[in-house]
Amino acid sequence: MPDIRRVKERLFLALVSLLALAAVAPLFHILATLALRGLGAIVEAGPGFFTQAPAAPGSGELGGIGPALLGTVWLGLVSALLGVPLAVLTGVFIVEYRGSLLAGLARLSTSSLVEVPTVLIGMLVFLLIVKPMGHYSILAGAVAVSLVMLPYTVSYVERALSQVPHTYREAGYAMGMTRSQVAYRVAVAIARRGVAAGVLVGVSKALSETAPLLFTLGSARGVYPTSPGSLLEPGDAVPLLIFQLAQTPYENWQELAWGAGLVLTLLVLLLFTLVKLLVREVRV
Amino acid sequence: MAGKSRSEKWFLLTHVPATLVSTSVLAVLFLVLLHQSLPALKAYGLSLFAESAWSPSEKDPAESRYGLLAPLAGTLVTSLIAVALALPLAVSAVLFGEEVLPRGLGSLRGAYSSLFEVMIGLPTVVYGLWGLSVLSPLLEEGLYQALYRTLGFLPLLSCEPLTGSTVLTAGILLAVMVTPLVYVVVLNAYRHVPHTLREAALSLGATRYEYARIMLGLIRPAIVAGALLGFGRAAGETVAVAMVVGNTLRLPTCLLAPSYTVSSLIANQFGNAGLYPLMTSVLLAGGLMLLLVGMASSLVAFIYLGRANRFA
Repeated sequence: MPDIRRVKERLFLALVSLLALAAVAPLFHILATLALRGLGAIVEAGPGFFTQAPAAPGSGELGGIGPALLGTVWLGLVSALLGVPLAVLTGVFIVEYRGSLLAGLARLSTSSLVEVPTVLIGMLVFLLIVKPMGHYSILAGAVAVSLVMLPYTVSYVERALSQVPHTYREAGYAMGMTRSQVAYRVAVAIARRGVAAGVLVGVSKALSETAPLLFTLGSARGVYPTSPGSLLEPGDAVPLLIFQLAQTPYENWQELAWGAGLVLTLLVLLLFTLVKLLVREVRV
Repeated sequence: MAGKSRSEKWFLLTHVPATLVSTSVLAVLFLVLLHQSLPALKAYGLSLFAESAWSPSEKDPAESRYGLLAPLAGTLVTSLIAVALALPLAVSAVLFGEEVLPRGLGSLRGAYSSLFEVMIGLPTVVYGLWGLSVLSPLLEEGLYQALYRTLGFLPLLSCEPLTGSTVLTAGILLAVMVTPLVYVVVLNAYRHVPHTLREAALSLGATRYEYARIMLGLIRPAIVAGALLGFGRAAGETVAVAMVVGNTLRLPTCLLAPSYTVSSLIANQFGNAGLYPLMTSVLLAGGLMLLLVGMASSLVAFIYLGRANRFA
């Protein structure tokens, strides 16, 4: 007669394995569908997929995601320019002045920011920048995503710097270094992989977020933002394009959304791989 | 700052303003949301959250009626479904990775937990795209019709599913999205359980089932924290939900019908809300509720996590 406890164990292991499979199965289904439908769209559109604007809705043509791709590049650049210095300065301050009131508040506030729905950041930037300016702009979108990036990069920088052993700092001070020199030439230099990972995680968030762009970027789907002056004009971005085109009834636009989804996912996976090479564990 | 050296002053001069900016984002967000939602709160009082109405009027502000009850209920129901489904999946995924996958193959285990990291990093709009054109037709044909035919006598399943964009679809898609998040929280606590406790359980001759039950009992606060964080994340999720929830203003009394959530209502209406008096303010009041829900759930979650980390 089989032992009832062993039978229970068998059943339990089977159930756990089945549920674990159910937890990861969607990822494979998503990646396979993206590869299939996304690649189909890109092959059909040809190289023009990366340069042209979307074709007219309902037409047999696909066109491309050129303006949105260019807009995403701008968003990445400008939000990194705004967000990375802010995040690194904040992270360094939190570690250097650990124990002070401001450092404690900064840590609490930025770590709570991760739990704030990103659509609210979009609303805030709409009220503070878009409304006074009178129109959407790439700059407003970049400010919004730089605020989304901020807490992630701060937390990476802070963790990376906290892991630098005290003896190194003391050695720096003993050599007569100033606080800035110890913070940057010693601590940041030693923890540079963690800091770089924080920057990449932040940029990846900035590129993949949609909700902060809904009321800030505009959907200038046919305009190529070629000069820095176009930062003050409405623009487009890949995630926003996916969100809007996927919900239209036009087949060619839906196909375009799948192609754009594949491009965006590959971009995020590339950044993820770089982060993995820099640090062992990715925390998001 | 007398007595501090010039270089120290220079350090503070560059770092304090930046830190102040980063620190104030959350406070500014809260104050702006509060201030801007006051007109709606004054006009409708608490009935703004207790009534279900959405009849904007372009001309006469007095004629427009707003009530956020339906989207608030939608947010609550979709997020609860998400957590209820995600919790067993995430806990099983942790047990599978820690107890079933062979220990000797270190790289296999690493690859397994990387899958969840990738899932967390995947853009939400990609989940939405998949949910809209793959998951929801699949559920409609494969599950909803059958549910309606067999269990249609239950009030929650008593409406005929017309499309795949329903409350249940939103809940299931959210479950897919928050499962990796809950997984990470639970896994962290699981790995911090001291070896002495594990060995004590094993030395008593516990089967792997009994051992897992003991382990889960030890990390119960972390499981609660994971559920709360998952709930907060699900409640705030915007674009993916907007793509599958059906965006129809009705109370989510039936899971097979479309509804709305606060965040998807904001996503669809906020851009043009300036055309109608008070609508911007009403939506900002909804945003304020989302902020409060997010903050409250993460605060309680961190209290529980503090308890869970008694081993760490």
